[in-house]
Amino acid sequence: MISTFFSHELKAFWRTKNAGKNVAVRIIMSVLILILMLYVVAAGFFMDMILKKVFPHESLIFSFCGFVLIYFIGELLSRIQLQELPTLRVQPYLQLPVNRNTIVGYLAFTSLFSVFNLWPILLFWPFIFKIILHDAGGIAALGFIIAILGISIFNNYLALYIKRKANINGWIFIISSAVLILVMLGDFMWHLYSIRNLSYLFFGNLIKQPILALIPVFMGVVMYYLNFLYLKQNLYLEELITKKDKYKSSTEYPILSYFGATGDLVANEVKLILRNKRPRSALTMSLFFLLYGLMFYANPGFKNSSGDTMKVFAGMFMTGFFIISYGQFMFSWQASHFDGLMVSKVKFTNFLKGKYLMFTVASTVTFILTTPYVYFGWRVLLVHFVMYLWNLGITTNIVLFFANRNAKRIDLSKGASFNWEGVGATQLLMSFLLFLPPLIVYLPFKILGYPNLALALITMVGIIGMLTRSFFIKFLEADFYKRKFTILDGFRNK
Amino acid sequence: MIQVKDLKKVYSGVIVVNIPGLEIKQGESIGLVGNNGAGKTTLFRMILDLIRPESGQVLSKGEPVAGGESWKNYTASYLDEGFLIDYLTPEEYFYFIGGLHQQTRAHVDDFLAGYADFFNGEILKRGKYIRDLSKGNQTKVGIASCMLQNPEILMLDEPFANIDPTTQFRLKNMIKEVIKKGVTTLVSSHDLNHVTDVCDRILLMEKGKIIKDIATNSSTLSELEQYFAIGQTAAPAGLIIDKEENH
Repeated sequence: MISTFFSHELKAFWRTKNAGKNVAVRIIMSVLILILMLYVVAAGFFMDMILKKVFPHESLIFSFCGFVLIYFIGELLSRIQLQELPTLRVQPYLQLPVNRNTIVGYLAFTSLFSVFNLWPILLFWPFIFKIILHDAGGIAALGFIIAILGISIFNNYLALYIKRKANINGWIFIISSAVLILVMLGDFMWHLYSIRNLSYLFFGNLIKQPILALIPVFMGVVMYYLNFLYLKQNLYLEELITKKDKYKSSTEYPILSYFGATGDLVANEVKLILRNKRPRSALTMSLFFLLYGLMFYANPGFKNSSGDTMKVFAGMFMTGFFIISYGQFMFSWQASHFDGLMVSKVKFTNFLKGKYLMFTVASTVTFILTTPYVYFGWRVLLVHFVMYLWNLGITTNIVLFFANRNAKRIDLSKGASFNWEGVGATQLLMSFLLFLPPLIVYLPFKILGYPNLALALITMVGIIGMLTRSFFIKFLEADFYKRKFTILDGFRNK
Repeated sequence: MIQVKDLKKVYSGVIVVNIPGLEIKQGESIGLVGNNGAGKTTLFRMILDLIRPESGQVLSKGEPVAGGESWKNYTASYLDEGFLIDYLTPEEYFYFIGGLHQQTRAHVDDFLAGYADFFNGEILKRGKYIRDLSKGNQTKVGIASCMLQNPEILMLDEPFANIDPTTQFRLKNMIKEVIKKGVTTLVSSHDLNHVTDVCDRILLMEKGKIIKDIATNSSTLSELEQYFAIGQTAAPAGLIIDKEENH
């Protein structure tokens, strides 16, 4: 039965509508993961030297033993944020004569195939083989290996258990993350206790009594069993799917009603962003990226270079991040009701005007929020303003031009992390086309020694872009009608 | 009101809709029947300019629907949940649709008050987004939003599916009333009783063709029942199931 599940999942993967893209995306992902892994392996391999540098006065094994538990607490925290729940869709199997234990066991077991379970092996095993095996003998090394596997398994199932609970009640997620952070702070900030000593208490004794390795293994098994039981008891559809229902109230944005039909469309889109996970995280990301400037301006390396190039880049990024991050998936966000939009009395010009209006509002807000950067000099603010004009005049048009070329459906109900739905070559191409033009306008004059002229040019291009907006709207509308059916067809493809 | 000329749609080499000519006059009520894959939904989508036909065109009030926007002013339609903005509450959706037709909120509220029975207390002020409603209740939202638009043309794709018997009867009466007011109506359905009860003219589709075009009378129902009973015993070989209906 387990092998049947496996083959079904493989089929589900290969037969999704845009399998080709999935594979390409997964290849890029796996290359990235591979690079990351190499770093971890290198860190594991040179851990003895690193530890010697950080704790020069302590014995290697002592500092290693002190470090392991700290690592696992951090790991648990990142697991809770990032690890994905295993995804077998159990619904079609529930009413068939398949043993419940088989389904649940499969669900629980496959969660072990997570990259997270690879890190500790890559990170700690080299040290164990290099130092502990040499210093303390084979049995102690075996004890370490088993203990670390046990804690990994324990962490794995604890994280999933918390995630499953958090699916039902969002507070659990926040509380458990906060507890872990407090545990860390309690040691490193307030020095109430020492996790290192605790860690050493266990791992130090492990060297003498390798049999202690069975404790983490036992904990891991108990946690697995808890997961198993929880899943088994909650193998009902409504409990797997629904969250606690809150009363959802209707809202309106009176300011937007000044803009008439366009304003109504924007109001809908604002609701789209606020009420769905993935677009909402595009919004939070763009707020988060307001700190991006600190990386450049607070960095003494950049402070001394007198050029504006970095400011141009940072300014474009900060005032335009929402346009880029949300706009790159336009009109996919509305894929699920695009048919409805097409047959209702919505003029496409108004639809486009709504997009411009929303971009303008978002950019203006982010520009205002970046004004504190004036601390790093008035010129920073000036460049930000110039790039804000550029974003309104040019970036918006580029983004909407590519929106007409995007026919990938996005399921709004899914979260953002590791979600590659709707990602394709269009987005990659677009990001090139977004960042190159300002530099093409700017750099030649800057290199020739006219940085102010270069900025003036960018401003001019941006303003021209805004003044000719009605032309762009006409162009984009005609362009859309050429592609309408392809887009609609793509959006209907679940 | 609606003219269909030489309309043809091909999906991977198979003709799914092929209508040399069809004329729908103002105020007519058309019932569209046919087995799965007969091409009903595809025809509706082409009338609404959602799918590009291989050849031919659809005229609404003499103007081609393709690329046009004026037909949207007087055409209301509900084919599936893809027509609803599912992250809005039903109220917000109705206000939005009403706003598109220059109706004030008060007007929309008035309108909705008349639908209290139809909604059966499960739609308004329940604190749910449309995506949290059951499929039947979503259908109700879609149908009500069509009525809200005071259309001259009303198109519903299987409106009787997914809703409870009481609502089915209410819906039938609603559609009859709308027809009485002179609204041109197109309804597709698998329920032969309902469709012959409501519509004056029945179009029977098979493999993309309209094979029967009859004015409803007392013998229509049995005529249709006979056709479908025969269709059951000799299922056509190589039947292509309509994409939308084969979830």
